[in-house]
Amino acid sequence: MAPVLMLWLVMSLSGTWAVDKGNFKTCDQSAFCKRQRALKPGESPYRALLETMELTSTRLTLQLINDNNKVHLLLELYRLQGNITRVKINELKPLKPRYEVPDVLIREPSTEPLSLLSQDENGVVLSLGSESQRVIVSARPFRLDIMEGRDVLMSLNSRGLLAFEQLRMRKDTQVDPEGEKKEEADLANQAEKAKEEEEKVEDGMWEETFKSHSDSKPNGPSAISLDFSLPGVEHVYGIPEHADTLRLKTTDNGDPYRLYNLDVFQYELYNPMALYGAVPVMLAHNAQRTTGIFWLNAAETWVDISSNTAGKTVFGKMLDYVQGSSETPQTDVRWISESGIIDVFIMLGPTPKDVFSQYASLTGTQSFPPEAAVGYHQCRWNYNDQEDVTSVDAGFDEHNIPYDYIWLDIEHTDGKRYFTWDPHKFATPKEMLQGLMDKKRKMVAIVDPHIKVDSNYKIHNEIRNRAFYIKNKDGGDYEGWCWPGSAGYPDFTRADMRDWWASMFAYDQYEGSMENLYTWNDMNEPSVFNGPEVTMHKDAVHGAWEHRDVHNLYGFYVQMATAQGLIRRSGGVERPFVLTRAFFAGSQRYGAVWTGDNAAEWDHLKISIPMCLSLGLVGISFCGADVGGFFKSPSTELLVRWYQTGAYQPFFRAHAHLDTPRREPWLFGPENTALIREAVRQRYTLLPYWYQQFYHSHRTGQPIMRPLWVEYPQDPATFALDDEFLIGKMAQDDKHFTFRKLILTCVPQVWFDVHTFQKHNGAQNLYIPVTISSIPVFQRGGSIIPRKSRVRRSSTCMMQDPYTLYVALNPQRTAEGELYIDDGHTFNYEKKEFIHRKLFFANNMLSSENLAPDAQFSTRSWFERIVILGASKPSKVTLKTADGQESQLEFDFDASMSVLTLRKPSMNAGLDWNVMLQ
Amino acid sequence: FIMVSPDMRFHVIIAAVFWFGFVDSRKIKGISSSYKRFYRQRKSFLCIHGSKIIPFEQVNDDYCDCDDGSDEPGTSACPRGRFYCTNLGFRPHYIPSSRVNDGICDCCDASDEYNSHAHCQNTCWNLGQRERAYVAGQMRTLDEGLQLKQQLIEEGLLLWRENRELQQVAEDLQIKLEEHRRKKHKADRLKEQTLKGLQAGDSSLFKRQNSTVISTFQLLDSNNDGSITVDEVQAKVALVHDEERVLSEDEAVALLGGGDQMDLTKFQHTLWDILTKGDSVKVNYGPDWEFLFLNSQCYKLNVYGYTYTLCPFNQVTQKSTAGTEVSLGRWGMWAATPKHQYSQMVYENGEPCWQGGSRSTTVTLTCGTETALLSVKEPSKCQYIMDFQTPVACQPVLKQRGIHSEL
Repeated sequence: MAPVLMLWLVMSLSGTWAVDKGNFKTCDQSAFCKRQRALKPGESPYRALLETMELTSTRLTLQLINDNNKVHLLLELYRLQGNITRVKINELKPLKPRYEVPDVLIREPSTEPLSLLSQDENGVVLSLGSESQRVIVSARPFRLDIMEGRDVLMSLNSRGLLAFEQLRMRKDTQVDPEGEKKEEADLANQAEKAKEEEEKVEDGMWEETFKSHSDSKPNGPSAISLDFSLPGVEHVYGIPEHADTLRLKTTDNGDPYRLYNLDVFQYELYNPMALYGAVPVMLAHNAQRTTGIFWLNAAETWVDISSNTAGKTVFGKMLDYVQGSSETPQTDVRWISESGIIDVFIMLGPTPKDVFSQYASLTGTQSFPPEAAVGYHQCRWNYNDQEDVTSVDAGFDEHNIPYDYIWLDIEHTDGKRYFTWDPHKFATPKEMLQGLMDKKRKMVAIVDPHIKVDSNYKIHNEIRNRAFYIKNKDGGDYEGWCWPGSAGYPDFTRADMRDWWASMFAYDQYEGSMENLYTWNDMNEPSVFNGPEVTMHKDAVHGAWEHRDVHNLYGFYVQMATAQGLIRRSGGVERPFVLTRAFFAGSQRYGAVWTGDNAAEWDHLKISIPMCLSLGLVGISFCGADVGGFFKSPSTELLVRWYQTGAYQPFFRAHAHLDTPRREPWLFGPENTALIREAVRQRYTLLPYWYQQFYHSHRTGQPIMRPLWVEYPQDPATFALDDEFLIGKMAQDDKHFTFRKLILTCVPQVWFDVHTFQKHNGAQNLYIPVTISSIPVFQRGGSIIPRKSRVRRSSTCMMQDPYTLYVALNPQRTAEGELYIDDGHTFNYEKKEFIHRKLFFANNMLSSENLAPDAQFSTRSWFERIVILGASKPSKVTLKTADGQESQLEFDFDASMSVLTLRKPSMNAGLDWNVMLQ
Repeated sequence: FIMVSPDMRFHVIIAAVFWFGFVDSRKIKGISSSYKRFYRQRKSFLCIHGSKIIPFEQVNDDYCDCDDGSDEPGTSACPRGRFYCTNLGFRPHYIPSSRVNDGICDCCDASDEYNSHAHCQNTCWNLGQRERAYVAGQMRTLDEGLQLKQQLIEEGLLLWRENRELQQVAEDLQIKLEEHRRKKHKADRLKEQTLKGLQAGDSSLFKRQNSTVISTFQLLDSNNDGSITVDEVQAKVALVHDEERVLSEDEAVALLGGGDQMDLTKFQHTLWDILTKGDSVKVNYGPDWEFLFLNSQCYKLNVYGYTYTLCPFNQVTQKSTAGTEVSLGRWGMWAATPKHQYSQMVYENGEPCWQGGSRSTTVTLTCGTETALLSVKEPSKCQYIMDFQTPVACQPVLKQRGIHSEL
């Protein structure tokens, strides 16, 4: 039945190219969301019982009471290191434990002492450490205000939308098995009968039906909700994954943004529907401060955003200002989750960089990928057989286009049995992998988490025998329909299951695998073709928990276990590379993410930028979109433009649907081959810079691909831009997709066109003519960028190559940058085997200084050229190396562009040196 | 500050290499003998495209001075440079400069990896041997193929002549048959006559796609002796116009190509072709009618559990082990390539695909001594490509690129 249904779906939608919205719930169709959204602000039944307050050196606890039903909640408040406040709310005595998300925080966060400043019968004032920050706990109704000086930074429950559906016995089945009379019964832990009458049993509390799927809800209602007010804030970002603008919109007139990992067929752009992954982190920004809210909950979640200025025109705002009557702009946010507890981390900045560090201190930083993974990836559903792989590989050499990884989608397996190979099409996988290895290239093969139910399949048998499958509500192994037909879903929330899964990547277990084979986890939302909303039933069982509680974590765990497998197969030596489609907070620790099944349309190219920027803001830097678009076939111009954009996004992979014509870069005539070659070559020349950015992100948690406001937080003109972005400190602009002329919103600095070296003064809008061959990329004055100009077959072939430094001077005639070098693929950098140098230019001298004197690594790479942009002509140039030797360098000066090129200084990249211009 | 590191040793080696380079300028790395003239001057070097003059020491000094890459033929320094593999014993060729010392052996004489960790062997002699053997084989194939082609052309010409005559006869006959049928249908309506075998005798049978040569032949061959005789023709045709008249013996003989009988082979090359295609499809069988013999033949190949059948000038099908047959296209046209007009066949409008469009197959013809289907691929969904070998694809103009045989 099920595959027939899918076929029909495919065919019936082929003409429309749009998501079938009817397959996915609106808030109204999701019982808890509807219930919670119906609550009115300003009627909070919650009161803080100040007499229950306990303050220890690490935390404050306090009971809250719901005056309507007398249910007690326990509030815990922590001050965490690094300007973070954590607020936890749970039932004081829940009927059974409520789910608290494990494994996402990298460690139990370190606390700092809280101190009591004042207290009366209306509330309590606590000091949040040294920075004149206080938190005010108001008793009636309960409310928290976080203050700095006289400013309120954030208020919780200020609109009174805190809600906590306590776990309860099912009255109709307990008292009256027929369940007709909704008679009120006295619950063991509840006292006041009269109040309870307000708690009507509503539809969808104990059972819910969507389309043909029924959700049995044995635990009944368990939703939670809390509102946050952000005074002075008009711009909020984050909560990926949505195909929407970078700046989040208000949701008053539609559905809230939804976070529920789903396999959405042909997703639509510019709406708040859920997609493949979920990171419940929101950033709020104004010219004075950036803050963040991390709502640690893995259940289905909806986020409402409203603003008191959203409807106002610029003129309206101005009028307010002139009349002096304006209320402060404010954004109000409300989070609603189906189960679990309230556990929220309030990151208080104050700068964007501080928020990134704060979030990284909780969930970790971007994993440091093997350098090759930063190169170009060639994928297609599917390269048909080994001969196909060989000929595509040869095509890249014939057309002199570099690439590092070729990918195999599901058809490479023996009947969609992952960890196996099609016995005819991929009969000798090691031979194929060796062939790639001889070219210093690598492969990625897909391993999805749905396991074919087949008693002749080793993986299935082992999982079943070890009882590792997720169970259905009746206790049997959960079975759903996916690529292989009937499939089981391993319970990746179990550590022992993940451990076993990781062991399956050992070379002797995964037959035909070699060290240059890496992994791709797709369909890990999880995708269940015949399940509700194409995913798993919420009443499926993971040990003590329901799927409802853990849903958004599933993909996170799949990638975690897979990355662990790749690390372990090498004895802990080699860095893994794993791509995932589903993700959660913390997924950055395990590899790369892509934006799923997009389409070959201009708007999809455009949306790839805000989608990856949003992911970068919440820690996931290694992001990319399918170059060319997955569904449909791109026009040649679109394909070329997509390569030009993808070359400047962190994860650079071309991919295509099975039903589309071939689109390897050389299939569109020599002119277009040349354009694509040039885009890919630009990526490879910049690999040293990209790699250094990854290292930086890995060390600090700063995003690689950044919105302009992150670097210019005080410039409101940048706050909503999502067609220009920065890579570290370099800018890329993609407005040329809609205009033939580029309008560059320049932030106040000097920028150099990286291709022509043309200098642009900032703080103005520039109009730059654009052709099909130009990629508008600019280097910021004041920065130094290392490149390798000898583009070879793959990144590995370029390991020992010399560097060229591009020094772009600012008006003060200074510049600085960094250079990071290691072996490119092992964890030895953790053992201090790397070179990390600071390069700076000041007072006419360029020097290299060791940033890691305790680190040890040697390289054969040297500097073949130094290009100084915005320079004046020197009379002589002297190189001084570490051994004290001085030599004169030859140079060439282009007066028209003010470009000084130093010829072959030749010093080793790992040593101290300086170059003096006189 | 004294530190002896492997790097320094490396630089010493490099320096030595280049020093030798300067001593003997005839040994400029990475150039062919025809380019030596550009590198004769020892004091300065003019970039070949003339953009710059540089001191001669800067030739192959691992720094790119010339925009055209000509100062670094032997290193990887120039993005647009190229390196000449002399490959004595095999074919010389250029590789992009980026493949010099990248750790991968590209030149069979190992000259591109003069300073890398790659342990390259000189394989030129072996490659040359293999190449020479291959070329010799190709030449033999070509000779044989051309002979076979000549035979096939001659057969084809005979067939063509017969075909043309038959076509004339069939055309005449067709008209008569059609007239008969019209009359007969009127009669049918009046008499409500049930005529068994009407369908079998109806000329539409010949145009039905799923009828095969053999089944049609067997239908005509009443006594199953493997040949159709005048009697049999008269008998079958007689069924159609029972009321009017039986074909005359002369007409039957004409349909049999002037003889008194016709076997299956001859049938499928002549009568079948004419009756199935009628005169609506004028197929181009090549300048010498050399491809005519392929008509009505079918060639099979099993690939990954599917049986592919190519029936030239008719159709391509794919049959799964489960037995379902799918059309991968019907004869469309010759797709001319710049090299020659008869190197590719296109079959179009096969079974429709999920995402729109229909299946199609492109068949590339290559020269060989036997006629056979060599490979089938589906690089994109529903777009098949086949390699098909046949003597009639042999072209006498096939020319060899030179090989260094001197050593």
